Amino acid sequence: MVDSQEMVKKVFTQNSARIDTNKGDAYYNSLFEKAKERLKALRAQPALKDIDMMEVVESEGVNRRDFMKWASATTATLMLPPMFTPLVAEATELMNRVPVIWIELQDCAGNSEAILRSSTPTVDDLLFDVLSLEFHHTLMAASGHQAEHQLEDAMHHFKGKYLLFVEGAIPTALNGQYGTIGPSGETFQEHLARLSKDAAAVVAVGTCATYGGVPAAAPNPTGAVGVMDLVKGKPVINIPACPANPANMVGVVLHYVLTGQVPELDSLLRPKFAFGYRIHDNCERRAHFDAGEFVEEWGDIGAQNNFCLYKVGCKGPMTFNNCSIIRYNEGANWPIGVGRGCIGCSEPDFWDKYAYERPMADANIKAPTGGVEKTVDEFGLGLLTATTIGIGVHAVASAVAGKRTVHSEDEE
Amino acid sequence: MKTVDIVERIEGEAKLVCQWEKNKISDVRVEFLNFRGFEYILKGKAPLDALVYTPRICGICGQAHLKATVEALEQIYKNHNEELIITNKAKLLREVGLNIEIIDSHIKWFYMFIMPDVVKFSNNDYSEYKALKGKKWLEASACASEVIKVLAIIGGQWPHTSYMIPGGVVSDPTLLDLTTMQNYIDYGIKFFENNLVGMEIENYLSFNEAEDLYKVKADLKDFITLSFENGFEKIGKSYNRHLVLGSSLSFEEGKINKKLIKNIDFENIEELSLNTFNIDKSKNSKDAYTWSKSALYANNFYETGPLSRTLVQNRKFISSVHKHYKDSMFTRVMARMDELGFLLKKTKELIKRVDISEDSFIKPKISINEFKHGLAEVAVEACRGSLYHEVEIEDGKISKYDVITPTVWNLGPGIDGKLSTSQKAIIGTNSIEKAKLILRSFDVCSVCTTH
Repeated sequence: MVDSQEMVKKVFTQNSARIDTNKGDAYYNSLFEKAKERLKALRAQPALKDIDMMEVVESEGVNRRDFMKWASATTATLMLPPMFTPLVAEATELMNRVPVIWIELQDCAGNSEAILRSSTPTVDDLLFDVLSLEFHHTLMAASGHQAEHQLEDAMHHFKGKYLLFVEGAIPTALNGQYGTIGPSGETFQEHLARLSKDAAAVVAVGTCATYGGVPAAAPNPTGAVGVMDLVKGKPVINIPACPANPANMVGVVLHYVLTGQVPELDSLLRPKFAFGYRIHDNCERRAHFDAGEFVEEWGDIGAQNNFCLYKVGCKGPMTFNNCSIIRYNEGANWPIGVGRGCIGCSEPDFWDKYAYERPMADANIKAPTGGVEKTVDEFGLGLLTATTIGIGVHAVASAVAGKRTVHSEDEE
Repeated sequence: MKTVDIVERIEGEAKLVCQWEKNKISDVRVEFLNFRGFEYILKGKAPLDALVYTPRICGICGQAHLKATVEALEQIYKNHNEELIITNKAKLLREVGLNIEIIDSHIKWFYMFIMPDVVKFSNNDYSEYKALKGKKWLEASACASEVIKVLAIIGGQWPHTSYMIPGGVVSDPTLLDLTTMQNYIDYGIKFFENNLVGMEIENYLSFNEAEDLYKVKADLKDFITLSFENGFEKIGKSYNRHLVLGSSLSFEEGKINKKLIKNIDFENIEELSLNTFNIDKSKNSKDAYTWSKSALYANNFYETGPLSRTLVQNRKFISSVHKHYKDSMFTRVMARMDELGFLLKKTKELIKRVDISEDSFIKPKISINEFKHGLAEVAVEACRGSLYHEVEIEDGKISKYDVITPTVWNLGPGIDGKLSTSQKAIIGTNSIEKAKLILRSFDVCSVCTTH
C-alpha cells in the first residue's frame, strides 16, 4: 500500500499530466466514425429505462436550441472538436443504456451532495431520468433489506456492464474494522472487491476515493487508501477534488457512452479533459499574477480589486483541475471567485503536503510539478520575463509601503 | 426475538438492532460502524488548517463546522485579551451562509429522506414523491440547487467551503451579488409557498395554534394527513428535554427540562465512551458496539434540533402543536419544516442588512501561533441541532480537538442504564417501519455521528 502511495508521488513529478488539445484531423475523424458506430450499437440495445431524453428536456421547458447549447459546452469540456456536438447530444439520449451503481464508503457524502446540483439544463433529469442509476446508497427509494436486494439484482443483471462509482476512502487498518456495511458486517474493502469484480470500470469520485483524502491525512488513523490502491486488473478512473466537480462525473459517463472507452487518463488516472491543465492556466485572476498584482492580506486593496491570491496561499499554480472554467454550483462561483484561493484539493496528499496553514499561509510550498511552486520570484525569473518585470515593480511598491518584498523560507 | 435492520438513505448507514417483546420493541441499539478519526488527524496540525479540515466532517453541515472552528479560534484570541473585531457585515455573511445550508438540508430531508418512507404507509398513489424519479422529488432537488447558490456566491462552492477566517470572511460581495442572493432566496420562498404549504409565507408564519394545522395545504398537508391516518403523532416520544447550545441572530440558546432556562453552561457538557469502540482495539470495552460516543448535559440526555430550537424560542405555532402531541415523530417533522419557513424569511432579512461599505475582514494584530497555550469551547446551531467544538492549542499546534455533533446528542448510545434520546423514542414501537421513521425524524447522519 505504502509503495503505491510512493508511486503516486513519483508519477506526479512527471509531465504526463499535460494534455494535447489538438490531436489532428486524422485522429478526430477516426474517433468520430468510431463514436458513430458505438452509438448505433447502443441504440440497438434495449433501453434500461423507457425514457426519451428530448421529451424530458422539452417537458421541462428547455427547447432544443438550449439543449444543443449545453451539448456544445459539454463537447468543449470533453476537449472534442465542435463536430462532435450532435454525437454528444445523441450520447446523452443513450445514457440510459449504461447502468451505474454508486457506493459510499469512508466518506462525508459531499460528492453525492455535489452531484445533486449538477449542471443545467435539467441535468438532474439527465442523471436521474436518463442515466440508469441502479443503486445509490443515499438517494435511492429503497432502504434496508430491500436495498440490499436491489444491489444484488443490479450486480447480477448488469454483470460486466455497469460503471461502479465509489465515493469515500477504504480503511485497511484493523482488518478493515473501521468501516463495515450491510447486515453481514462486510468490510468496505470486501464490499469494494465484490462490487468491482464485475464492473466494466470503476470511477473513484472525490479525493477520498482517489487518494485516501481526509481520512488518509497524517497520521492516517484508520489506514485509509484510495480505490486504485486496491482495485487491480480493471480500468480505474479518478475524479479527484473535494468535492469532485459534477460536470466531470457527467463527462466521464458521456465519454464512456460516446466511445465505449474510458477517456484518456494522466499518470494519476485522471481524465485529461478535466485535469490536463492547471487552475492557474485559466484563472480569471491570472492577468493580475502576470502584472505582479497580489493580495497581500485578506481585505486589503488588492483583495477588493480581485488581485491574484498566490501570496495568500493559493495553490492554483500546482493544481490540475478544470474548476477555473467549470466553476461550482452550476457555475455560480468557485473558491477563487470569492477571494479564498485554491487549496489544491485534487492533488494527492494535499492534506499534508500543501497543508501548512492552508489556505492563508504564504504560498511557500514545494510541489513536485516544477514551476511556480518554488516562489513567486524564482518562478518569475525562470519562466516569464513579463512576470518578472511585474513582480519587480510589485516588489518595489511593497518595499515603499513597508511590506514584505519577497517570499523565502527564512522569513518569519 | 431480535432483529437486525439497516437504515440507508441517510448520510452513510446505521444498523438498527431491536429486541422484541409482545410485538413491541423492548430494547434497541443504533450502531454506527464507519469511522474516520478527525480528532486524531487534527492533532498536531496548524490551528488555521482546521478551517479546511472540519467542514469535511460532513457533506451536509460543513458550514456549521466551519463557523464553529472560526469562532473557536477567535475565542482563543479573546481569552488572551486580544479580542478580534468582527464587522457586522462579516457576522451577517457568516450567518447567512450557515442558514442557507440549514434551508438546503431541510428541503432535501423532507423530500428525499422522510416522504419516500411516509408515503409507503398509504395505499393511495403518491408516486410523485418517488425517490430520483417523482416530480416532487425532482422539484425539491432543483429548489435546493438554486437556494444553495446563495452560499456559493459568498463561499465559492458548496459543499466544503472555507470562506470564514479569524477576523472575518474573505468574500466581499457587490450589490449585484446581494441582489442575486435575494433572487435565489425568493426562489426558495416561492417553493415553500407553492409546493410545501400552499399559501403565502406571511400567512403561514402568522399561525399560532395547533388548530392551524388544518389550514396547511400542498405537500405538508399530505404529510399531516398521512400522519394522523397512521398515528405518527403518538410515536417517537422521548424525554421531552430540549437543548440549544448555540445562539445567533436566528436562534436563542437555552434548555428545557420541564421549565425553560436561558443560560447554558458548557461546564455541564460531558462526553462518554463506555459503548464506543476504541481506536486501539486492545482497549475496547466489552460493551462497545458503535463508533458514536454519548453526550450528556448536567448528567441527562437531551434532544437537540429544530424542535428544541422552536420550543426554546417559543415560536407559537409549533409550540402549540408540541403542547398537543409532545415530542412525537410528527412534531419533530413539523418543527423542521416550520423552521424552513422561518429561516427563509429571516435569512432574506439578514441579507438586506449587509452594508457593503463595511470591511469584510480585519487582520488580527498577532498570529494565532504566537499563543503558547489556548483553549476554546464554542457551539453553533447546525441543521440537525447543536454542534460543539472544543479546541486546545500548545506551542502553535492543535493539541486537542473535540467535536460533539447534534447526532451524538440524539443518536449516541445510552449509558449507565439510561436510555439515549433516540432509544427512548423508539422503544415501545410496534413495527420496524415506524422505528425507522422515528430514527429518521432526528435527521440521522452517520458520518457526523462518528466523525
